[in-house]
Amino acid sequence: MIRSRTLSPPARTILALMADAGESWLHGYDLCRRGQVKSGTLYPLLIRLEEQGYLEAQWQAPAEAGRPPRHAYRLTVTGLALARANPALAPGAAAAGPLGKPA
Amino acid sequence: MRHGLAKAAVRLAAIILPAHLRDWGRAMVVELAAIERPGSALAFALGCLGCAVRQALFSHLADPNPALEGNPIMHRRSSLLGQPRRLAAYCAIAAVGLGLVYMAAAGAPRSYLAINAAALAIGLLAVGILTEAGRHWRIGAGALGVALASLILLTGLFGLSADGATRWVPVGGIVLQPALFLVPVVALRFARVRDAAALFAVLIASLALALQPDRGMAGALALGMAALALARPGRLVLAALGAALAGFAVTLARADESRAMPFVDQIFYTSFGVHPLAGLALLTGAALILAPAIAGYLRDPDNRPIYAMFGAVWLGVILAAALGNYPTPLVGYSGSAILGYFLSLLGLPPAPAARSVDRNGIAMQSEPERQQPDLRDGLTAAG
Repeated sequence: MIRSRTLSPPARTILALMADAGESWLHGYDLCRRGQVKSGTLYPLLIRLEEQGYLEAQWQAPAEAGRPPRHAYRLTVTGLALARANPALAPGAAAAGPLGKPA
Repeated sequence: MRHGLAKAAVRLAAIILPAHLRDWGRAMVVELAAIERPGSALAFALGCLGCAVRQALFSHLADPNPALEGNPIMHRRSSLLGQPRRLAAYCAIAAVGLGLVYMAAAGAPRSYLAINAAALAIGLLAVGILTEAGRHWRIGAGALGVALASLILLTGLFGLSADGATRWVPVGGIVLQPALFLVPVVALRFARVRDAAALFAVLIASLALALQPDRGMAGALALGMAALALARPGRLVLAALGAALAGFAVTLARADESRAMPFVDQIFYTSFGVHPLAGLALLTGAALILAPAIAGYLRDPDNRPIYAMFGAVWLGVILAAALGNYPTPLVGYSGSAILGYFLSLLGLPPAPAARSVDRNGIAMQSEPERQQPDLRDGLTAAG
């Protein structure tokens, strides 16, 4: 289980985005853009979340003909609970330590 | 160009990712196609590559998935041993790293470390780009080998000279030794295809090395051909061996006036004087260079001639460094040798499950796009 005190600000941001999306599926680049998170940070997070059952991943038929299927993601029930327990931090709060104290 | 680099980087990421994360690698490749801006695409791809490197390192150093059946550590070890190109890449990264440790301990100029590190990065990227290029461009096998060997010959005719040898070419302020990265490629190509065109390439390379002269690489080529002749004798192989031995004999007959360069030559002897651990790092790095050949030879009987060639050529380069004033591969200051090692990886067989052979006689890595996912998999996998 991902312990709450290990969740980084980017992880919280991604969880919040996916929680807001509800049952809708999101793609990797969309999460990068909207969460302003680099792919090198996003994908390890998504991999970890899926391995631990907080995220489900699915290949989806492309919107345009001739395109390959895209990988899409949404939170599971436990993932939604994790997101609610670890809300995104307010801007500027990222510098704080894990217990909210200045680093 | 940035889109091309991005594609190469993300494909390399998909190759590097451990087997249990292959789906994620395919996802990255497909996702890249949805990004229109070249700069964004390149940034996305490089991030994916960094992710893949970290995941690969974690996967092989620790077991992040205790739910796997059986012994997950042994599963991963055997999985790596069964993927010769990946194993060789990891060994190369480790060897270069150990070389950087030695050079830092020995007080080498920082530019030396930077150039070796840059050669490592370029080598990794080159593997990705050339793997990608091999899927889309049909290059005649014979023409490629002859062209590469001709570059070695041109170096001997028009390259830079020093101490009675003409082995180098200047490229953007850096001096490269083409034979170091072209001879292994030509040799491995011959080991794979063993046809008349590849033999012609070996003949040209042997002549070029005799002309320069480059006793170290001539000896490495001869040793490689001898190993191939033992593993898979045949008329063309014996002819190639004869040419390589003749070229080596010419270099023995010619005076070798090369002087030892610090951090490049003779470092097997000087490293222990720096510190015993520096010497140990160097020897370990040299052993890692040969590890993929030994592992492949033991595990993949069908391709033993290729592993014999790979191992013998690089053993020859190591022996030349130990016995004469020749660059010490990967662990010494030599970007050319680092590039050569990575380029020679392309001559190794891919993982057994992914083998098919292209027109160039190079066994191709499986493409993520070829393995289009069954959409039903996603529906049944939904939680």
